[in-house]
Amino acid sequence: MSGTAAPAVVAVTGAASGIGAATVGLFRSRGWRTAGIDLRASDTDLPLLQDVTDPEGMQSAVQSVMAAFGQIDVMVAAAGYYEEGIDVCDITRAQWDRMLAVVLGGTVNTCRAVLPQMLARNGGSVIVISSELALGGSATDLHYVAAKGAVLGLVKSLAVEVASTGVRLNVVAPGPTDTPLLSADSLWRKGDYLRTLPLGRLVRPSEVAAAVYYLATEGIAYCGEVLSPNAGAVI
Amino acid sequence: MTIEQGGRPVVVVTGAAQGLGYATALRLAADGFLVAVNDISDDRRLTELAERVGGLAVPGDIADPDAVTAMIATVVARLGGVDALVANAAAMAMGPFLEQSALDWWRQIDVNLSGHFRLVQAVVPHMRAAGGGRIVLIASEWGVSGHANATAYAASKAGLIALAKGLARELGPEGILSNAIAPAYIDTEQLQVDADDAGVSLAQMRQQYRDLIPTGQLATVDDIAGAVAFLVGPGGSAAVGQVLQPNGGVVRTRA
Repeated sequence: MSGTAAPAVVAVTGAASGIGAATVGLFRSRGWRTAGIDLRASDTDLPLLQDVTDPEGMQSAVQSVMAAFGQIDVMVAAAGYYEEGIDVCDITRAQWDRMLAVVLGGTVNTCRAVLPQMLARNGGSVIVISSELALGGSATDLHYVAAKGAVLGLVKSLAVEVASTGVRLNVVAPGPTDTPLLSADSLWRKGDYLRTLPLGRLVRPSEVAAAVYYLATEGIAYCGEVLSPNAGAVI
Repeated sequence: MTIEQGGRPVVVVTGAAQGLGYATALRLAADGFLVAVNDISDDRRLTELAERVGGLAVPGDIADPDAVTAMIATVVARLGGVDALVANAAAMAMGPFLEQSALDWWRQIDVNLSGHFRLVQAVVPHMRAAGGGRIVLIASEWGVSGHANATAYAASKAGLIALAKGLARELGPEGILSNAIAPAYIDTEQLQVDADDAGVSLAQMRQQYRDLIPTGQLATVDDIAGAVAFLVGPGGSAAVGQVLQPNGGVVRTRA
């Protein structure tokens, strides 16, 4: 999609596991060069150890990808974590601050680092992973839902801000997905919950990756849009 | 779906003689589908398209219940089943609400909404027999946000969105996945209708629409065909009851 002979480049935060790892795997299987930004080493062509909450560190990580591959065609912001089962009054200040710093702050840092080179060449796509909980609301994980909801506002606004260029920003908001973020005893894994879903099952990481890949390769007409492969959790 | 079993899944595309339906038929054929193409009249465009994609032309007015039944019977007899439906045929007549005739109102509802309701009824037994299927209803931004001088059209398209959501909940547990696409401004023959309604040239119409879209670009029929391909393809297996809005950022309303 870069229009050059070299394979296109995707950089993924949170690439070491779950949705990020599945995304890297899909792009790689289609011949893309991959860079992974994570606290842990990722199975990518260029694994970078970096915390997304560190603005300067994210600038350095993006510069490393640029130095290695020349450009970044697609940036996927998938870094995040999940905490559930906490009543709203019991969410501590530290839990709130960390969630906002990673999910919202991490996305801001990622966009700030990657957008200048995309704007400079008038092309590129940023895809941010949010959650169907940001669309439908949820109980006992309010800090996560608030952070994922804030990401929607950020991406919709940024998308319109750069809409006149060739740069696109969009969101994929998956339903509860079968990744290590959901603990073995998570409420989302229980039959009582799964039976409420039209598809009766968790979303697979590969299905989220497929939505990301579609937006990345054929999504030029989407601007600030939210795709939600969610097994029917929010309709 | 059949495609995962190594065979060629069968898709029915309505409104396929031109524009979005035509592009969708080409795209899905390229993606490995066996394509049955429908439009209201049996003109050369439809038969040539069927020949081009190695598929089947099944002309007929989908507002006619008997025609719908016959059409799907033909598809099943000739192609072996129906795995996916792309409901794209549409009638449109613009005009101020109070001045539109009941005839104009009902023609748009009959084709856009009721015709596809009956088509869904006709194809679902075959999807059940196959153990699953995909239904994509082509709605419209105007069915999401409404539009002056297009109340019947907007109502029919909003009805299609609700139909997709209801079908998603009712048939999702059986592996039959329904979704809608709500395009906004696409560069098709339909722009001429809009231009005539607005009393401007086609070029002026294009520019007026571009000015409304944050990206400044009309969607192409291939952009929308790509959205259909995603929803009926292997990657769309977790999308159910969703409304895709590839509209360049123009809509500030959600379906």
